[in-house]
Amino acid sequence: MTAHTAAPHMAARDMEAPGVRIRDLTVVYKTPSGELPAVRGVDIALAPGTITGVVGESGSGKSTLALSLLNAVQPPGRIAAGSVEIDGLGDVLTLRGEDLRRARGRQVGYVFQAAQNSLNPLKTIGKQLLDLGRSHDVEDLRALVRDAKDLLARMGMDGARVLDSYQHELSGGMRQRVGIMLALVLNAKVVVLDEPTTALDMITQATILRIIREVHEERALTTLVITHDVGAVAEVADSLAVMYGGRVVEHGPVTEVLGDARHPYTQGLIRAIPRLTGDLSLARALPGRPPTLGTLPKQGCVFRERCERRMDVCETDEPMSVNRDGRTVACHATDRHLTLVKRKEFV
Amino acid sequence: MITGTGITKIFKQRGGVLGAREVPALRGVDFAIAKGGAASFIGESGSGKTTLGRIIAGLETHDAGEIVIDGVPMSPLSHRARQPYFRRVQLIHQDPYSALNPTRTIHQTLEAPLRLRAKQTGRPRSWVDGRAEELLAMVGIDPGYVLPRYPHQLSGGMRQRVVIARALTMDPEVLVADEAVSMIDVSLRLGILALLKDLRERLGVGVLFITHDIATARYVGDDGELYVLYRGQVVERGATEKIIADPVHPYTQSLLSAIPVLHGLERPGAERVVPREMQREGLPDGGCLFARRCPFSTERCESEMPVLGRDGGPGTETEQEHACFHPERRGVIPVGVGE
Amino acid sequence: MTVIVSPEGAMSPEAGPPGTTRATLRRNFWRGVWRVLRRKPSRMAGVVIVALFALMGVAGPLLYPAQLPRDDDALYAPPSLAHPFGTDFEGTDVLALVVTGARYVLLTGLATAVITVALGTLIGLVAGFHRGRWDTLLMRLTDMNLAIPGLPLLLVLSTVWKFESPLEMGLVLGVLGWGGIARAVRSQTLSLRERGFIEAARGLGLPTRHIIGRELLPSMAPYIAMNMLIAVTGAVYAQVGLFFLGVLPFESSNWGVMLNLAVFNGGALTTPAALPYLMAPLIAILLLTLGIVLIVDAMDEIFNPRLREE
Ligand SMILES: Nc1ncnc2c1ncn2[C@@H]1O[C@H](COP(=O)(O)OP(=O)(O)OP(=O)(O)O)[C@@H](O)[C@H]1O
Ligand SMILES: Nc1ncnc2c1ncn2[C@@H]1O[C@H](COP(=O)(O)OP(=O)(O)O)[C@@H](O)[C@H]1O
Ligand code: SF4
Ligand code: SF4
Ligand SMILES: [Mg+2]
Ligand SMILES: [Mg+2]
Repeated sequence: MTAHTAAPHMAARDMEAPGVRIRDLTVVYKTPSGELPAVRGVDIALAPGTITGVVGESGSGKSTLALSLLNAVQPPGRIAAGSVEIDGLGDVLTLRGEDLRRARGRQVGYVFQAAQNSLNPLKTIGKQLLDLGRSHDVEDLRALVRDAKDLLARMGMDGARVLDSYQHELSGGMRQRVGIMLALVLNAKVVVLDEPTTALDMITQATILRIIREVHEERALTTLVITHDVGAVAEVADSLAVMYGGRVVEHGPVTEVLGDARHPYTQGLIRAIPRLTGDLSLARALPGRPPTLGTLPKQGCVFRERCERRMDVCETDEPMSVNRDGRTVACHATDRHLTLVKRKEFV
Repeated sequence: MITGTGITKIFKQRGGVLGAREVPALRGVDFAIAKGGAASFIGESGSGKTTLGRIIAGLETHDAGEIVIDGVPMSPLSHRARQPYFRRVQLIHQDPYSALNPTRTIHQTLEAPLRLRAKQTGRPRSWVDGRAEELLAMVGIDPGYVLPRYPHQLSGGMRQRVVIARALTMDPEVLVADEAVSMIDVSLRLGILALLKDLRERLGVGVLFITHDIATARYVGDDGELYVLYRGQVVERGATEKIIADPVHPYTQSLLSAIPVLHGLERPGAERVVPREMQREGLPDGGCLFARRCPFSTERCESEMPVLGRDGGPGTETEQEHACFHPERRGVIPVGVGE
Repeated sequence: MTVIVSPEGAMSPEAGPPGTTRATLRRNFWRGVWRVLRRKPSRMAGVVIVALFALMGVAGPLLYPAQLPRDDDALYAPPSLAHPFGTDFEGTDVLALVVTGARYVLLTGLATAVITVALGTLIGLVAGFHRGRWDTLLMRLTDMNLAIPGLPLLLVLSTVWKFESPLEMGLVLGVLGWGGIARAVRSQTLSLRERGFIEAARGLGLPTRHIIGRELLPSMAPYIAMNMLIAVTGAVYAQVGLFFLGVLPFESSNWGVMLNLAVFNGGALTTPAALPYLMAPLIAILLLTLGIVLIVDAMDEIFNPRLREE
């Protein structure tokens, strides 16, 4: 397999994967009722060389978070506070103009939500590849095309044929792969994939997830995968962040978060997943409905309206993210639980 | 009771250099849905699930085969004479966002079919409003809240419930739910699935459940039948729980292998069937439809077409029907960590 | 029958009273329209302009005597307080001419718009909804309509028909001009009929009348309204153009005739004296167009409940 990949990548591959640290990030959208936060006070670090999954329901702020990684939030949105540090690049949020444009693509590759539909229908894939190369001042366009063909072959496709095709001549799964190719072809080391498998069927999804995992390892990337499908994340990610109402409510290694969820939302979400095995009666939908920007509570815990363990303090105080043994949870109930346990140990 | 035998549909696509191209979407599908029963159809995209659902709902014609509704075969009837029969089958769309008219309130949306229903059944007009509230309560939403609102003011889950309520206005015998939860927030999906199951039990409505996510089929009809569709052919068919727990057709096994494993809660199954990728469309003439992708295909598979049956090869007979020359049990589904 | 009320609806934050009667809906609609118009000052300006013209059309001729006074001492008089836009070749006040001429122009525009839109929408809807044979027939008709050379035909017609009533004029312009709208409405219908809610209505067995009138038409309302407004401006241009070219009979208080006289008799393009006489109807036409364009901008929001309520 590696024999396919051409020389230019070798140097890149030897480089360390960069780490990414998002600190206290807040992104607001301007609405008729004022500026409302779609992402609020998010603190997460993507460890170098790992795949981090972000799950959350529609409107929880996943795409907004992903766009902030490239400092690409469009008006009426605005990054109101925080920083995004990428090793070797610095704080992305302070980059402007030409520097920012170069960083996108060269350092941070992005596969858009519904990448299946974000290709230009009027140009062949090859033409779009050349446009991308030119806009990034790639000198050796031949090498670029060669790299692209290698990447496509790596993902199980006939590179030459795909480059000659128009978007509508490719299936959903093929387009998704083209999206991944375009994100990687400039040797980006940080890759963000927004809903890479939504609207694909199971077999295609499994193929794409496998490709993401393999390419990630071969090229020593730091990858962020965003999805509403817990299963997809579980399959591919090392660590898992759960978003709700613009907050990261829980974050930790994927097996631990799934196997022993601490936040009531994560617990409810896991219980609500239709499963192939196990007792049907144990599964249950979460009551209530996900919040939208307008219905987010102004104070207290964002999840409290749907939470079974809500307490008085949840109405007034927003729970802080508490980090313990490599896992972060933002919930008053687990907070208390842990301190109680601790006290017992002292006795 | 609705049955179908040998349902065949061939789409003729125009365009292309070579002129018309024929796309077989369904190749002789047999099915049956009893009162209050459940039949789930699974398969990857393009396998013909939607086409079948639309044919059963009378929204699409078929090229061969017979649909029998309540003992009455449809093909001898005129288009007009069929309508009352097909009205007993209501389709629930995949997309609750386009299934409701954005310019009409929920009250208006339910009122029109209910008026029609009142006329058909000789009920007074005053029955309409009460019935609208009753139906909304039945699908689990607060009529007072929903009735005056426009679709955009409701969440995806609520919209889908309204769509189901609208389908119930015609007192249908069968609901065809085409990927009915795929566009709904994950935390709310089980609610819709539970509702469909509940309607089966309470109203005796049969549900034809179309999905590419096999796990959801269990929550609507674990006691029903499961049909695995591949390129318009049923390749495995039997009791839902049986097929999920113990599939024998390599295609079913591929589908089940593709379902993500919730690491931490479950372990992957012992085996995994990954179909080969097809670079180009095209089929072997006369062979098994799956042969080009099947990891277990033999020479026989290339030249002979397997038919649905219980013959499990030398000496064995499987509980479910399958269309494969070499059915074999494989432990492809994930195992719970606790087990 | 057991009733399950899930928390989904019960937890609804802003549960309102079930105001579902027609009257409430209509009231809410007009409130929404008002809200949409107030959202941008430009829209209000548009409404004010169009309202002024409407007023002019209704009340204008009543403000002045049937025979406008002439003043032989003040031919092509420059603008003054008494004559804000000066006077014409007979010494008649130009403003008075514009105001009294508005009715004919506006009525023609309105009649044309109503006829084009009604015909175009009906034909487009039927063709798009029924497809098949109906579609082929109606679209052939539309092609023919589009192929009619409007201006030459009007020139010929004007030799036998004097177009004294604005409605006659509107009828002719409307019958000539529905093709474009029919085309556009048909293609909208074709794409809408694949939408889930139309298919659901068919699946429920709702009558075609209901589907076309209650489901399809409201969804296209912004589109139709926009076309209607634009048709008004189109019709105004068309008839003013005709009168300007002098094909149609002489009538001094007509914007097109005014333009014609200003240019060809008054020499407005060479001498400044007749310039106000030329400018007045031009400004009126531009202002009317501007008003309509400013309102068109609100149509999407008015007919889309989501945008209206926000
Ligand atoms: N341009 C915008 N203007 C106003 N609000 C916006 C805009 N874009 C997003 N939002 C709001 O910000 C919140 C987060 O949006 P975002 O797209 O990040 O969600 P998401 O988690 O990616 O959802 P999905 O799963 O549907 O893609 C939502 O409430 C959304 O309505
Ligand atoms: N209106 C149509 N015209 C032409 N081909 C169609 C049409 N609808 C479906 N098909 C084809 O029929 C096959 C089955 O499609 P469909 O029933 O939508 O599958 P599924 O619902 O399982 O994804 C596909 O190959 C699809 O391209
Ligand atoms: S903080 Fe309170 S309301 Fe929020 S999740 Fe924890 S217990 Fe529930
Ligand atoms: S018949 Fe052969 S090719 Fe077809 S599924 Fe069975 S083993 Fe595979
Ligand atoms: Mg998103
Ligand atoms: Mg489908």
